[in-house]
Amino acid sequence: MTTVPAPALSLRGLVKRFGHTLAVDRVDLDIPAGSFYGVVGPNGAGKTTTLSMATGLLQPDAGTVSVLGIDLWGAPEAAKPLIGVLPDGLHTFDRLTGAELISYAGRLRGLDRDVVRARRDDLLAALDLEDAGRTLVMDYSAGMAKKIGLACALVHAPRLLVLDEPFEAVDPVSAGAIRRILEEYVATGGTVVLSSHVMALVERLCDHVAVVGRGRVLASGSLAEVRDGALDLEERFVALVGDERERRDLTWLRQS
Amino acid sequence: MVATVVAIRLRAAWHLARREWWRLLIAGLGVTWMLTMLPWLVWGGAALARQSDEVRADLLVGLVAVLSIGWAVVPLMVAGLDDTLEPARFRTLGVSARTIMPGLTVAAFLTLPALFFALALGLLGLSWRVSGPEALAVAALGLALAYGSMVLGARVSAAWAARVLSSRRAKLATFAVLGLALAAAAPVALVLFRDGLTAVIGADVEVLLDRLGTTPLGAGVAAPALAAEGDWLGAGWRIAMQAAWLLLVHAVWRVNVAHQLVAPLGRGGGARRRHDRILDPVRGLVRPRDGATAAVHARLVRAWVSDPRYLSSLVGVMLLPVTFFALVMPVFDLDPRWAYLVPIVLAVTIGWGRHNDVAFDSTALWLDVVSGRLGQAVLRGRLAATASWALPLIVVVALATVAWGGRWADAPGLLGTCVGVLGVSLGVAALSAVLVPYRAPAPGASPFGSEVGAVGAGLVAQLVSTLVLVLLVPFVVVPFVVALVAEAPGWGAAACVLGIITGIGAYAGGVRAAGAVYNARSGRLLAAVA
Repeated sequence: MTTVPAPALSLRGLVKRFGHTLAVDRVDLDIPAGSFYGVVGPNGAGKTTTLSMATGLLQPDAGTVSVLGIDLWGAPEAAKPLIGVLPDGLHTFDRLTGAELISYAGRLRGLDRDVVRARRDDLLAALDLEDAGRTLVMDYSAGMAKKIGLACALVHAPRLLVLDEPFEAVDPVSAGAIRRILEEYVATGGTVVLSSHVMALVERLCDHVAVVGRGRVLASGSLAEVRDGALDLEERFVALVGDERERRDLTWLRQS
Repeated sequence: MVATVVAIRLRAAWHLARREWWRLLIAGLGVTWMLTMLPWLVWGGAALARQSDEVRADLLVGLVAVLSIGWAVVPLMVAGLDDTLEPARFRTLGVSARTIMPGLTVAAFLTLPALFFALALGLLGLSWRVSGPEALAVAALGLALAYGSMVLGARVSAAWAARVLSSRRAKLATFAVLGLALAAAAPVALVLFRDGLTAVIGADVEVLLDRLGTTPLGAGVAAPALAAEGDWLGAGWRIAMQAAWLLLVHAVWRVNVAHQLVAPLGRGGGARRRHDRILDPVRGLVRPRDGATAAVHARLVRAWVSDPRYLSSLVGVMLLPVTFFALVMPVFDLDPRWAYLVPIVLAVTIGWGRHNDVAFDSTALWLDVVSGRLGQAVLRGRLAATASWALPLIVVVALATVAWGGRWADAPGLLGTCVGVLGVSLGVAALSAVLVPYRAPAPGASPFGSEVGAVGAGLVAQLVSTLVLVLLVPFVVVPFVVALVAEAPGWGAAACVLGIITGIGAYAGGVRAAGAVYNARSGRLLAAVA
């Protein structure tokens, strides 16, 4: 008898309301272990809110989150060590240097000093941050801050990575390095969940995708299933979320 | 542009009030308090009108001088200034300082405190009507100019303090300010201790008020008395001095706004650090064994020596004890044993000041939250970082106070009591920081800024922390007070032992309770401080 492996991340009936706004409306999603999973959606669709609830950063109003079969909100001490998180748009402890921030993340995760030291140096080199490692994070560009955040998410070798807009503001060379790291990670059994607005990137990297709109999952599954015969993901995305905006002719913007 | 800028401020306040109803409640309470003050102000104006011109001018000069200093200092120490129109927010719009200054200036006068003080000074200034219409006109002009200097002075003081604290010389600046404050307080205390309050009032206060009337702190307010005497030259140059001061303060503010439009606060200036202080922390009194606690402790130690928000707190905790020692004690000619309140009050203010400690992490606390169930480690590390400088400071100040009074027999009781009070105040603050966090200035923002309404929320949280400490601290202090009053060394020993036990117990209990609450609320903390 074979047992079905637990999904790397399982969301059931997640709901989050901010005042009168229903940001996330009964989201159900299973993310298979070992997958490279893209979450796409228009601005304000509820992606970041969903990922925040899926990583322990935001208490859901209703619903459950399981990480490799462990209830995240019921047993956070068992579930959180399995996850590496890169949130979007949040501050970091910017009075630390890049190297210190990685060390900080590693020590919080309970790693020994020597292990942290070795992994910190590896990550700084892999993400081309060796020179910046001694500079305060407050002096980092947006792209460098993303890379150091990714290093913090990786330092404890989690089994699931949840990355919110990991390539935003990152230069092409660094983006290539990050892609390689993530692809090798998935190839060795890790699971990556990333949100992005760049459809081409999601199509290139991910084997599964979920389209989120108006706080709900509009479509999910393998890339081919979600495309559903469309030319590409972008075409399918527009079809799913709709493009109902009034097309105004900005004649006043024309220069000649 | 004035209407646009003012509309932004009012609209932002309205949106925040609609989003969070309690802001309206707090604003309503503030307005109610101000209305209850109105009869007192009317009574004060009538009482002033019954005084001679000279006495009335002296009283108003003293009042406006104290208010002007208060407006410059209070935003740095307690509440902060409404940051809706922080000039840095206009950076991306490509507007010049010249364009937005009129709007910023008008908006600065449209805060509740500014409106209240305009009303208050107006009502008190009406007392000059008994000296004739000319004196009343000069009083109106002089008070308006002094009031303008006061309100704009707060902007300049906060802007320059933020600029200095965000520079690489922040530490030096902090200790320079502390040194200057002590140097300024020392001669006042010396004279008061030497001559006593009665002699000082008789001989020095009148001279002081007279002198203040020739400085920008009181020139405009002193002018109507001279006008009433017919000394139009004396009144004229005082009004001119007050007007020139107002223009100067405004110009300095404009220079600072222009700077903020092109130079963001809170950058590190490319500073590089050779050592990883998370893995290899500087050896100190406190060395947590647990890895996560040690990491949080090392991070907070860095914050205490480099983050403007923490550095400004460091200066703030000294205000009350220094004022008590340098002014209250000599003014009321108190027994030297009252000086023991200095280290005790210092212990209270250090702990009390940490009541919003967790919010100082702002949204950066996500890293602590996603890393596990770390409430105990986070709180242990945070409090240990404060205790690592606070405890030695309290001990030194306590011993210095005992040495000043020469009563060494009181030392054990005082030391134990101080340790107890510090432990209790830190324990209460730890719990308050997790239970009622409110939005604090974010990393890199001005430490003296405050979101609309957050001032009120902050005051409520501060009030709750104060009430709890007022209830608990007396239990720690009573044995030492008995030892002093009854001259009973046995009670001193008891105060020592009980203080240390209570302090350690409250500290540990506070950490444990706050850590548990942190874990329970970890999914809501980020939203609370974001």
